[in-house]
Amino acid sequence: MNILKLFSKILVANRGEIALRIIRACRELGIKTVAIFSEADRDALHTRFADEGICIGPANPLQSYLNIPAIISAAEVSDCEAIHPGYGFLAENPEFAEVCEASGIVFIGPRSEHIKLMGNKIQARNLAVRAGVPIPPGGVEGVSDPELALQGAKQLGFPVIIKAAAGGGGRGIRVVHSEASFRTSFSMAQSEASSSFNNPEVYVEKFIESPRHVEIQILADNDGKVIYLGERDCSIQRRYQKLLEEAPSPAVSVELRERMGEAAANLTREAGYVNAGTVEFLLDKEGSFYFMEMNTRIQVEHPVTEMVTGVDLVKEQIRISAGHPLGFKQDDIRIQGHAIECRINAEDPDNHRPSPGTISFYYAPGGPGIRVDSAAFESYYITPHYDSMIAKLVAHGRDREEALARMQRALEEFVIEGVKTTIPLHQRILSTMKFRKGEYGTDFLEELKK
Amino acid sequence: MDIKEIREILKLLERYGVQDFTLQRGDDRIRVRKGGFVEGPAQVRFREVPVAETPAPAVPTAVAGPGPAAPAMAADQLPVGENQFLVTSPIVGTFYRAPSPESPPYVEVGSTVSKGTVLCIVEAMKIMNEIECEVTGKISTILVENAQPVEYSQPLFIVDLA
Repeated sequence: MNILKLFSKILVANRGEIALRIIRACRELGIKTVAIFSEADRDALHTRFADEGICIGPANPLQSYLNIPAIISAAEVSDCEAIHPGYGFLAENPEFAEVCEASGIVFIGPRSEHIKLMGNKIQARNLAVRAGVPIPPGGVEGVSDPELALQGAKQLGFPVIIKAAAGGGGRGIRVVHSEASFRTSFSMAQSEASSSFNNPEVYVEKFIESPRHVEIQILADNDGKVIYLGERDCSIQRRYQKLLEEAPSPAVSVELRERMGEAAANLTREAGYVNAGTVEFLLDKEGSFYFMEMNTRIQVEHPVTEMVTGVDLVKEQIRISAGHPLGFKQDDIRIQGHAIECRINAEDPDNHRPSPGTISFYYAPGGPGIRVDSAAFESYYITPHYDSMIAKLVAHGRDREEALARMQRALEEFVIEGVKTTIPLHQRILSTMKFRKGEYGTDFLEELKK
Repeated sequence: MDIKEIREILKLLERYGVQDFTLQRGDDRIRVRKGGFVEGPAQVRFREVPVAETPAPAVPTAVAGPGPAAPAMAADQLPVGENQFLVTSPIVGTFYRAPSPESPPYVEVGSTVSKGTVLCIVEAMKIMNEIECEVTGKISTILVENAQPVEYSQPLFIVDLA
């Protein structure tokens, strides 16, 4: 297996903690790295920790981290063989993957056709049907006529959810509880889809009430071998933005894990998908699960899976892209203990608004079972140009109880001064009975506010 | 000239290691150039990570090992006088002083330039971008070697304003 060569140099097309995460994986694999950075990130950690750094544009991400020609040019002048896109920015942009392919640079991720396929929720739903994976009751076609859509909604029975075909990040989504508000919600979803994704196509499906958001991590190699690495429970979210994740899910039994894992693997096989991916499901109170979408990138919350499986997902992505077969079988994957991740964002815990500013003091927790993925440091300036995440705090323990205790201890140790953070909110979540018992759904945070 | 013939020509050029080749036959003209304008296998290494630009870094500055670095100078570190203008690169790419290896450079130290004068080329994704002067004056310093990679906002020329 070691006869196959890995890359000698990779360009990291991202910033922040995920850029560091990729640089760390490369360093362990003996691969040189090139960081790209905007003028605002001249002193950022990814710029300093990479072997080389290239300034590719001004602070505005449209002219830097989203600037495809500048990034490709940077890869060419620095002789990089591959580009890792991280998450966000260009990670799920099929055009970027296509330009990489055309320029002879390996895109570390799936092929552009699969990014495109999964980017369209209606096509992805149809794929799930072909793979025998359950989807929420509803249309497998887009609708543009509000009257036709209303007819469909009545057949499904309210509440229903209207979603943008090209959707993502919670935009273009409307939950409708009754016929009265359907028409307004429908046209709002259409115009939001149109303005956010340049595609007004929407579809209607049955709204699953207070479900859990449970996703399966997949790795697939070029030989068609597909392995699932258990689930992550990402139900703690607000406005469809995840805030806290854990693995395994308190609601998933060994038997259910196997069924969901097999379903995710079947979908991956049906698509002919290669590299790391995540199949998202809604899990209802009766233990039925429904396919939601497939994310074709490394996820923010990937560390919880790494902690309980011992598999380094970023290294696996690189190996697969270099043509290596997976070095393990499904039976080799064992879920060891429990892991929780808290996203520490720079934001006002009361109104959830981003709180940019300079970190005047920074102390990251440590000790047994604690992992901190962060690009922050003392005197670091959190600019309003990029996302507000300061750190991902991950706690691992023998069981859920120990992981919880470690997380609470680490949240107390974490000192970030100068900006407001989500640390107090996490402490509140962790202290509730509902969370401690593991009995929560996607409506948990809304309930907590009341 | 058809594709088959061109393929044959390319094979021959590869076999004899020809770097630059032009063939004109009637109205047909073909030019083959290997490896852009770079003569010989130039080992291009981009700038080393910036060193100590923050006054009090709470983190180690670069874990990277030393390399044959050619650190690009930041615009504010250059001795640019009041009557001078700094031309910086608008894009990431490879800097060329001339349109082809055998042509003379667009400008030399002492050349008179005005608004619209082409100063150099920055090649990005196989596209030759001509960089034009925005001021009138005289080239005082050329800060980058031919065929060297440049990054966004990297200083290229200092112009004495007229």
